[in-house]
Amino acid sequence: MRVPLDWLRDYVDLQLDPEALAERLTLLGFEVKGLERWGSEWRNVVVGELLTVEKHPRADRLSLTTVRVGAGEPLQIVCGATNIAPGQRVPVALPGALLPGNRAIERTEKMGVVSNGMLCSGDELRLSVDGEGILILPAGTPLGAALTDLYGDWVLDVDVKPNRGDALCLVGLAREVAAATGASARFPEVGLTEDGAPIDQVLAVHVEDPGLCPRFVGRMVRGVGVAPSPQDVQRRLLAAGMRPVSNVVDATNYAMLELGKPTHAFDAGAVARDASGRAGLLVRTAGAGERLETLDHVERSLSEETLLIADANGPLAIAGVMGGAASEVAESTVDVIIESAVFDPVSIRRTAFRYALRSEASLRFEKGQESRLARIGADRVAGLIATWAGGSVAAGRIDTAPDEAGPARVGYRPARVNRLLGTSLDPDAQAALLARVGIESEPATAGSNVLIAADPTLHDVAVGPGEAREAIVPSWRRDLIVEADIAEEIVRLAGYETVSGKTPDTSMPHVRPNPLELRDGLRHALAAAGLVEVVTPALVPASQAAALGWPVRAADGVPGEQAVDGPVVTVTNPLSERHSVLRRGVVGSLLDVLALNERHGRADVAIFEIGKGYAQAPDGSPAEWWRLAFLLAGSAGPPAWNRPARPFDLDDAKGVVDLVGHVLGLPEPLFTLHADGAPLHPGRAALAMAGQGCAGLVGELHPSIGAAWDLRAERVFVAELAIAGLAGGQLAPVRVVPIGRFPPHERDIALVVPESVAAADVLATLRAAGGTTLRRVGLFDIYRGTPLAAGEKSLAWRAVFAAEDRALADDEVDAEVGRLVAATASAHGSRLRT
Amino acid sequence: MDLATLTSQLHALGEEALPKIAAAPDVATLDELDVAYLGRKGGALSSLMRGIGQLPADDRPRVGVVVNEVRQAVEAALEEARRRTADAALAARLVAETVDVTTPGRPIARGSLHPIVETIGRIAEIFGQFGFVTYEGPEIESDATNFQMLNIPPDHPARDLWDTMYVDVEGGLLRTHTSPGQIRVMHTESPPIRALLPGRCFRYEAVDASHASEFFQVEGLMVDEGTNLGDLRGLLDEFAHAMFGAGRATRFRPGYYPFTEPSVAFDVGCLVCGGVGCPACGRTGWMTILGAGMVHPVVLRHGGIDPERYQGFAFGMGVERIAMLRHGIGDIRVFLDNDLRLLEQFR
Ligand SMILES: [Zn+2]
Repeated sequence: MRVPLDWLRDYVDLQLDPEALAERLTLLGFEVKGLERWGSEWRNVVVGELLTVEKHPRADRLSLTTVRVGAGEPLQIVCGATNIAPGQRVPVALPGALLPGNRAIERTEKMGVVSNGMLCSGDELRLSVDGEGILILPAGTPLGAALTDLYGDWVLDVDVKPNRGDALCLVGLAREVAAATGASARFPEVGLTEDGAPIDQVLAVHVEDPGLCPRFVGRMVRGVGVAPSPQDVQRRLLAAGMRPVSNVVDATNYAMLELGKPTHAFDAGAVARDASGRAGLLVRTAGAGERLETLDHVERSLSEETLLIADANGPLAIAGVMGGAASEVAESTVDVIIESAVFDPVSIRRTAFRYALRSEASLRFEKGQESRLARIGADRVAGLIATWAGGSVAAGRIDTAPDEAGPARVGYRPARVNRLLGTSLDPDAQAALLARVGIESEPATAGSNVLIAADPTLHDVAVGPGEAREAIVPSWRRDLIVEADIAEEIVRLAGYETVSGKTPDTSMPHVRPNPLELRDGLRHALAAAGLVEVVTPALVPASQAAALGWPVRAADGVPGEQAVDGPVVTVTNPLSERHSVLRRGVVGSLLDVLALNERHGRADVAIFEIGKGYAQAPDGSPAEWWRLAFLLAGSAGPPAWNRPARPFDLDDAKGVVDLVGHVLGLPEPLFTLHADGAPLHPGRAALAMAGQGCAGLVGELHPSIGAAWDLRAERVFVAELAIAGLAGGQLAPVRVVPIGRFPPHERDIALVVPESVAAADVLATLRAAGGTTLRRVGLFDIYRGTPLAAGEKSLAWRAVFAAEDRALADDEVDAEVGRLVAATASAHGSRLRT
Repeated sequence: MDLATLTSQLHALGEEALPKIAAAPDVATLDELDVAYLGRKGGALSSLMRGIGQLPADDRPRVGVVVNEVRQAVEAALEEARRRTADAALAARLVAETVDVTTPGRPIARGSLHPIVETIGRIAEIFGQFGFVTYEGPEIESDATNFQMLNIPPDHPARDLWDTMYVDVEGGLLRTHTSPGQIRVMHTESPPIRALLPGRCFRYEAVDASHASEFFQVEGLMVDEGTNLGDLRGLLDEFAHAMFGAGRATRFRPGYYPFTEPSVAFDVGCLVCGGVGCPACGRTGWMTILGAGMVHPVVLRHGGIDPERYQGFAFGMGVERIAMLRHGIGDIRVFLDNDLRLLEQFR
């Protein structure tokens, strides 16, 4: 809320400079987000007196004026306005002035005559909304004075929190300033002369559902003259960020900013009369098919929940949200009906959202309104209208609920307050603090309970004699309901800075496993291996899943997540199509990262992400799971002058999978061909399984996917792995294998097999056939070419044999090798290459 | 052959050998000289020694002494010469092997860790020292868990604080904060509770330099019989000092959240200007880094905890905000952009 300090001074004395005041309010819970010197644009605008006003010699519509702005020579200024005459005091923008909207004023020549500046309208200065004529200043305005000094003001931008609707106005903030500074706040005087007919002869109001409109206060002012508001009123409204409209409408806005009470003024001439000739208002919900043209000249069809102010002929206004065009106060308006009501906050909030019409008024209704304000607001607006627009105020008010509730009582225990706050404020000190915002307190009556929570059910506790006090809460403080609210009020007024901090000395909680541990272990291993961690948006284009073709499915044997195949979760109110569904996997996001970095000229990209996938489970409930994905493109290893560049290949990607398995202590991953096609190259994609702990796909990206992502890299390698424990597992401790006492025997075995035989199958055969002395076996070379036949390859394996209890003899090892060769020969048709 | 002749021949051999050895240019020449003078078969010394047998028995030991003298002299000269030539060869090799040591080394591949995840880790580490345990909750929540159980009823004006994205799952929305985790932890743990809840959050919010529609938060929750506002302040001061430096000024002031009462906004002295006021801190000298407060009794009740016996505090911070301040990053969008030129600075 914008708070012009000049206006605020009407309600409280301000001794502090604006910066100090801003800090006090901030420390009291009313954060000052900005401190604006309003009117600083008027620095080179001064008060001048018109000496002469003559026709411009060469332009009928221009005047040639001379203006005295001080002791020096009068200035010659050309002006296009017609409302000027010698003797008037007017604002003069001198050359060098920079008016609102960055309009620079210079010495110019207009139709052959030099103009040494400009006479300004109120609108040009944003001092009023009158753009027609030059702003005529009061006769006594000091000549030569800068307008900044005359009208400039400090404006605080105060963040009023949703629970403090009572402070969304100058009077409310004045109360807070008073509490902070020890000054006392002044409530505005409602100067009202009721010289008109009794109200019940001119106005009738019927509220159909008092639940939706607990109080309606109506007043009437007859015989007004609708015109612009006085200049100082317009200036205040503009400084507060509100555009002046007319004296009648401005009166409602002025009272709203002053008291926090939104009201509405109807042109009584547009309201249907009842049998007695009275204007008859009806507060009701909309009927089927009803329509209303609102003040913004939009014809709206009204939903049946909409609360209306209506007359016998139909809707006049959407209650609390926006008036109707037909009953708008205009220049022709003679009689004005003032509506000052309390509406159901939820109803107003829903309606404002439904029509996308959230306004300063609806914002205040939403937060709930003090009933008392309905009466005060009606009186204040009637008084302001009578002062600014004339007319006579009808005697009395229409009031559907004139009984005003007294202050609420909230019990609290001073000791419990201290226990919550960690303070040691004695009961009197607490009471004195509360008194600063008008909350009196007294010992609670015997047998009364203290309410500690009001939701989901009332929860109160019995208190011992003398233990509790009761706070007598003024009716505007609707936020103070339970004991903790009183505690907050006490510490707020004492100042949060008075709470001294200490490290907690209460009992320690149980140890729990750290859900980030396994993820962190993998992250550090992958970063050490040269991959860069990325974090990408979970919301992706709806088209992404279709474009990619989803890589990792439950059917691929990936453990744990049946929901992967489920429908995507879609945002029903997305910010944009680019962020409209939750991704089911992470690889698409990595392609986006590659594309972005390629656009920056970066070809070598090795990245990984541990992120979530999301989908709907078969029962329709949302499911979330963790995945590890990585992408390799460009050169392997950092390029350098002393190392030839080597492009990443599939083996690099499989090596990363090996590393992941190793970090997790899993069996060596097995890779089997996965020839499903997109998104992976059908000849270069593998299903990777490392025991029960890790499964996923690794492969070269299908060229068509690369093209769809506009990638420049010729080959891109991606993997996405489901890993047990990503959601919160621990790294298994390393289990040490004893180092053998007897030297191992190494034997190389080269087996010639047809190209169609997969290395992993041969390895499986070797492992299965190997006896207890076979410690390790691994591929160390693949050879093709002479003397092998076309379609043949030689797989060279290094086998290590050892026993724990003895040194193996050569012939024993030879026999083992013979068994391995025989087993592969029968399983794969291999022969020993000699 | 008499003693005198043999002796003089032996001396002559030594005098002939020693200069040749001294002048030998390399190991090969020395090896040749070694064979020529000391070789067992056909060496000059061996040849002369054959004459010993013709001498009278009394003279033989005396000749033996001379033979040993000559042999030792030659052997010593050979050894000395060998050492000399080896040293020279080594020196020559070292000179020959000189390289340009000013060229850059061969780089070792190093990846990097993302500042968001690392900042979460740093926060968890600091609070971990105070016994806070990390938990995680789902990102797809419901109106009940994201709002209502946190004392934010439907159509409450406080909902303006969280613009929400809804999803096509029955009652589902994307959590707007990590606070629903408070309720989940209260349901699974009993006091004393010290919980830390990091994770991704979503808001229906136009993206600019300081706002993101996807971002990360860390929520903290501590509940026990006596946990009070002073504990909160003490802990947050420790956190601010650990994260931003021991001398960092802090400020504790009223805030507003429906799920805390009292509510707190926690500021640190501006990291740009140090507190004198600059555009980065809105000329106040302070930067807000988190919101906090004493858990509202209604929230404790929704968590199944007796609000009369127990009390506690909660806090929530934006991870990006912390990371931006810590690393001097001016635009929140860089975190999800993943420009490697930025990320690799975290190697
Ligand atoms: Zn600063």
